[in-house]
Amino acid sequence: MATVIDYTRCIGCGKCYDLCPMDVFTWDEEMDMPVVTHEEDCWFCGVCWLECPKRAIDIVYPACFW
Amino acid sequence: MALDKLADRVIDTDVMIMGGGIAGCYCAAKAAEHGLKVTLVEKSKTDRSGCGAMGEDHYEPVQCDGVTPLEFVRLWEERQHDLNGDGRFTDRNIPYRLLDKSLWVLEESEKLGITMKWDDGEYYHMPSGWFGGPRLMIRVHWPDIKPKLARAVRRSGANILERTMVVDLLTDNGRVAGATAIDTRTGEFIVIKAKAVVLATGIFARCYEPEEPLFYKYQMKYHWCPASISGDGYAVAYRAGADLANMDITGWGLRIRDDLTISYGNFDHGDGIRAKWYTWDGDEIPYPTADKYREIELKGKDPIYVSQSHLPDDYHRRMQIAFTDEKAISFKIAEERGFNPRTHRYELMENHPLNFMVPTGVNVNDDFAASLEGLYAIGDCANGCHGCGNAALGGLLVGDNIHRFISGAGEPVINQAQVASQKQTALAPLGVKRGTEPIELELSTRYICKRYVGMLKNEGRLLEGQRRLRSLKREFLPKLMAKDPHYLMRALECRNIIDLVELHIAACLVRKETRGQFVRLDYPDKDPSRDNMITIQRLENGNPALEIREPPDLKPEYLKEEK
Repeated sequence: MATVIDYTRCIGCGKCYDLCPMDVFTWDEEMDMPVVTHEEDCWFCGVCWLECPKRAIDIVYPACFW
Repeated sequence: MALDKLADRVIDTDVMIMGGGIAGCYCAAKAAEHGLKVTLVEKSKTDRSGCGAMGEDHYEPVQCDGVTPLEFVRLWEERQHDLNGDGRFTDRNIPYRLLDKSLWVLEESEKLGITMKWDDGEYYHMPSGWFGGPRLMIRVHWPDIKPKLARAVRRSGANILERTMVVDLLTDNGRVAGATAIDTRTGEFIVIKAKAVVLATGIFARCYEPEEPLFYKYQMKYHWCPASISGDGYAVAYRAGADLANMDITGWGLRIRDDLTISYGNFDHGDGIRAKWYTWDGDEIPYPTADKYREIELKGKDPIYVSQSHLPDDYHRRMQIAFTDEKAISFKIAEERGFNPRTHRYELMENHPLNFMVPTGVNVNDDFAASLEGLYAIGDCANGCHGCGNAALGGLLVGDNIHRFISGAGEPVINQAQVASQKQTALAPLGVKRGTEPIELELSTRYICKRYVGMLKNEGRLLEGQRRLRSLKREFLPKLMAKDPHYLMRALECRNIIDLVELHIAACLVRKETRGQFVRLDYPDKDPSRDNMITIQRLENGNPALEIREPPDLKPEYLKEEK
């Protein structure tokens, strides 16, 4: 996994879902939280990581970039 | 059938701008200032989209040190020669105008809330620019350029359609009449009636491989935002009958393994001090071109590395700020991967085509008008207007002048049969079951470009690539499937990529010469008949046409001003 949401910190503000240039996130209406649904589209730009007010998102390089 | 039956939404506007990056935002804000109805169509979210999504650290050109526009044209062409060999590939009046108006952008930017000065309240001229010599590049503190620009556009009263992808342009009797689009989250089909359309999308690059070796699922790790480099602007212009320029010439470069930057400008350009390039056993070498790289490989001297560890402390401090301005996550990634950006030896992988940069794109004149009436192109998708400074300037100039065209343009006439046909093309992948996923077809197309076009070309490979691409398009484009609007966006991008690769290969086949880094192994010499020529491709009566012609020279009044 490259894009990971820590739900213990996420406050559901929706910034990541709103801003991701590649639309990696989807909004889960039931949870009222973002979920990572198009992870394969991530280009590791770090916008979600940068903009998350609670630093609840981590971007980690996967093995295939090592 | 009435238009509102065909479309989920119909939008009536004076100017439609496709792409909300730096060029599109400047253009939208300026055009709205003139009281025009402006609709900005952005595929992602304007606040963090395009090449400036994570920020910018440098801006160019800014007139400085008494450099005249005419001198700038010469410098600009010298830079082109380094990349693409001798010759003119662009209307010379464009770089002239870009420098001539460059100080005006600084003022206009401040009005939009964009700070052009450094922390000490002065312009931070870098010792050298991309062009070498004069200090035409400034450093900017722009980690949040896009949120600021998006706010400026909203304040201006322009309407932004976020998460909306343009499918195709609508035309009426040889002029542009608007566009059709889809909402990439809801799948809504939208018709936009517009008196003029400004294309402001990114460079085209997604036909070549990304920067990291990707054998697993992450296929989008490009140097620039993958959403902005699928060639959407190029492709819709081409299919609408506008001229595209120089689709044979790609930008090229060495892939940097573990690269942390977003702009190569961060490395040593601009600061005027050089990083070191050397072979694995320590021999220092100049930055290698494609043929030099192959020579080094055959001698068993690769990998090649680039290092900045010999550069002084203050250089590294400046670089740290530049990295933070352009891609804040860089240092976190370096730390997690266990290397120090200062001492790390960056491996240079193969020399490969990167993208379609200067001098490709929608062919425009020095008013940024394309060959189709009512169509304009600015920024990275216009021939000769690449880069952040040129994007801002092109956007402002078109935004400032387009009301003249609009006032005499009359109401656009929407051809409903055209709308119906575009709707069918756009939504078809949603109805396909057990078909081909967009990424699969995109990867096949990228492989054709890598294997059969590449850096070192020959007739046989190009013909084989052309044959494979045509059969791939015939067999699999109709089988593209999309389980939801997100994948529909990827499917439509794939359609754009395939159309442009077809043009790319056709143009490469016709250039039977070696010029700059356009290397044809079967034609190692320059063809003098291609000196100062531009390759134009367009759709004529449904068929691709190719024309080789001379680009315009400087206007007499520009030459006169110099004396």
